[in-house]
Amino acid sequence: MIDSILLVDDEDLFHLVFEDACSLLDISLSLNALNSSDEAAKLFQKWFQDGDNNDKPECVFVDLNIIGSSFDGIELIRKVNFEYGNHVVIGIISSSNEPEEQAKALQAGAQFWIIKSDDIEPRLEEFRKDYEGYKNRTAPFKVYK
Amino acid sequence: MIRLDKNSETDLIKLFESKNIGLEGNIIKLIESDSNDFKTYLTKCTDKDKDSRRKRLEITKKIQLQNNELSDLNEQNQKMMEDLQSTLKEAEEQKVKIEAQNGELVAWREENEKIQQELQKEMIKSESARIRAEEAKTNAINDLDILQKKNQTELISTIVRVALYIIVGVGIVTTGVYVFTLVIGKDTQVIGAAWSNIFGILLTNAFSIVGTIMGIKYATENKQ
Repeated sequence: MIDSILLVDDEDLFHLVFEDACSLLDISLSLNALNSSDEAAKLFQKWFQDGDNNDKPECVFVDLNIIGSSFDGIELIRKVNFEYGNHVVIGIISSSNEPEEQAKALQAGAQFWIIKSDDIEPRLEEFRKDYEGYKNRTAPFKVYK
Repeated sequence: MIRLDKNSETDLIKLFESKNIGLEGNIIKLIESDSNDFKTYLTKCTDKDKDSRRKRLEITKKIQLQNNELSDLNEQNQKMMEDLQSTLKEAEEQKVKIEAQNGELVAWREENEKIQQELQKEMIKSESARIRAEEAKTNAINDLDILQKKNQTELISTIVRVALYIIVGVGIVTTGVYVFTLVIGKDTQVIGAAWSNIFGILLTNAFSIVGTIMGIKYATENKQ
């Protein structure tokens, strides 16, 4: 089970869906959700500067297009991986299935790409099975369709 | 993991049994116990929590679906509005064009009316010119006719004058010969009969000529 998850998504309703799905599937113990990539970047910057890793999530799910943010999810992943220290499992959760975007996400250091849909639970279940591989950095980039 | 004391466990179980109030959320996953009763309690709480989460998840998904549908409808509406606005814009542009064309047509009509009025004026002028020309033609024909008649009258009067001269001359000559014959005492039987005949013929012709002259004169005067 993942200790803590951070979800960065502009859709409040999806926060509830994701939280309930994670709880029902016993994926995580705690889940925090943010609405903008700017807020998430600020938190990661703080954790990086303070060296305080207690509040830091174990796994981060980022939406691709975050309305109201100054940069998209791929840029947030790039910042987390290359500017604020790469110590979390991070990937995209989006309704988009564009191979070009997925290639960009891979370049930015994303480890997975989960496609949002009405039936998200089977994908999260599959993700849970692969999670240890992501944590150990042994599992390759995967798209959960 | 968290462990609770026996009293707390008992109180929690009693609360659940009496008022159906139990622990909720992920905290249940962090509590452990050796008591079978409390383990059962935790399982019941977990099941209850999962049921409520499942229900909430279903409802949230439905709302999300409805939101997506509404969002799609909104997009369609916006698209329709944009289409309507562009159609309206096109219609307004067409209206402006039609108004401009109407203006041109009105100007063209006014110009046409002007031209028509000028044409009418010209037609009236040409009509009056035609009437004048016809009058001139009639006058000319009349003049020509008069001239012809004048010429004819002159010719006739000349002929009549010459005829009168001849008649008078013949009368004088015949009378002279008859008088001379009487004077010299010669036989006047032949000459007298001839003079009488000639004089009668001359008188008849002279009256005839005078009548002709009077008739011609009368006719000419009437026509003029």
